[in-house]
Amino acid sequence: MTLVEFRVVGACLVLCLLHLPVMAQDSGYEIGLGKSVNDWLTLGGYFSTEYEKSSDVDQLQLDDVAVMAYGEFSNRFSYLLELESVNAYVANLERDTTSSNFPPTIERLYIDYKRSDHVSVRVGKQITPVGYWNQQPINVLRETSSNPRFSKEMVPKFLTGIDVHGFAPLGEDLTYHVYLQNSRDMDEANINIKPVSHYGFALAKQYGKGWRIGGSAGQFKEAMGSTSSTRTFTRYWQANGRFDNERYSLIAEGIINSESAVGAGRERSKAVYVQGEYRYRPRHSLISRLEYFHDTGVTVPERIGILGYSFRPVFPVSLKFEYQWHQESSYNRFVSSFSVLF
Amino acid sequence: MRIILLLLSIALVSVAEAAEYAVVVARNSPIEALDSERLRDIFLRRRSFEGNIPLVPVNLLGEEAVRTQFESQVLQMDRGQINQYWVTSHFQGIKPPATQASLQSIKTFIERVDGAIGYLPISMVDDGLKVLHEF
Repeated sequence: MTLVEFRVVGACLVLCLLHLPVMAQDSGYEIGLGKSVNDWLTLGGYFSTEYEKSSDVDQLQLDDVAVMAYGEFSNRFSYLLELESVNAYVANLERDTTSSNFPPTIERLYIDYKRSDHVSVRVGKQITPVGYWNQQPINVLRETSSNPRFSKEMVPKFLTGIDVHGFAPLGEDLTYHVYLQNSRDMDEANINIKPVSHYGFALAKQYGKGWRIGGSAGQFKEAMGSTSSTRTFTRYWQANGRFDNERYSLIAEGIINSESAVGAGRERSKAVYVQGEYRYRPRHSLISRLEYFHDTGVTVPERIGILGYSFRPVFPVSLKFEYQWHQESSYNRFVSSFSVLF
Repeated sequence: MRIILLLLSIALVSVAEAAEYAVVVARNSPIEALDSERLRDIFLRRRSFEGNIPLVPVNLLGEEAVRTQFESQVLQMDRGQINQYWVTSHFQGIKPPATQASLQSIKTFIERVDGAIGYLPISMVDDGLKVLHEF
């Protein structure tokens, strides 16, 4: 597909999708909820496109294309499969070149067993149950197109292993996760960190309808030469808090990592972000985020400020624009995205 | 005269505040009562059991008064918030509760399916059903 064809197809797709809610209503299908075939099979998926412009990047990409299948075999057993193509199509507008990467990878594949509300077990490849951002990783469900560095570099985004979770018996609104991985990832393409082992726990407490706080701690060991040839063993401590009402949302997450390297000392890195969203009209919101990231291996900590706007004609269709200010101004950039969950 | 007026106004207030709808299970269910917080968790599918009993929540299709009343009083959410919740849950592989097309089919569903729980006008509650919560 040439760049011109990509633009034409993309424009047609956007127009069609903006009318999708109307078309979908006529057919009885509700966008964002998948197509339920029967109890044991619901089909769905999502995609996102992203445009990025900075001093040295001018790029349009079909960022994620994914299909999902999930269902329930009984009251106690269920499963989920998600296949995803990352960077499926990238058009470099500055150099007038294109590239594609359609072969999908296994994003998630797991089976759930519910013994009770206090004990459920998830086995397989799953999202690591740490914090908020990590558990809502797809563009259409997020408030901004970009991710904080917190979510990309500090904790393995995925876990191939077992997670025991549920409501803690100690408190009505206290939930827990205890998770363990003792193998390589089921599919190492498109993952941020490639651990060979990972274990930890997470707790979250809901206060009324608006407030939620939580935290997690764990450690993981990376395969040599995966993301860094020297980093091998990392411990992390993470905390998060969130407030929501009809008009505002406020989210904050922070993490400290302690990394030990082969033949070198221990390094610490820390990251924190605070994000506010103001829904000033139905379907329209303004978002701002402040991020701080400091790796002891790097002399200057990074500070990032983001101002964004989000428009959702319906919740599962999202059009977003943002501008990022970095401490190093050459990294400043404009990002926009269009994403749909179907 | 004043006493009569006072009694009359108390009676009127009582009538105005009387619950119209009830959350019900089959008469033979061991569940005796559930508060609105627990019902919210069950109908949002955050919880699936009461004790060791697997629960099967059922919703009325569409936007009939009984459903909107249930959503606003028990779930404490409007339809937009509920849709947003289920879209997010779809990504987690969780579907909304099953639906039935009419109040009569909800009643039949609750009577026939083990663990079924739903809501009906109080006027439809008979000996085959047990009231857990009124709203």
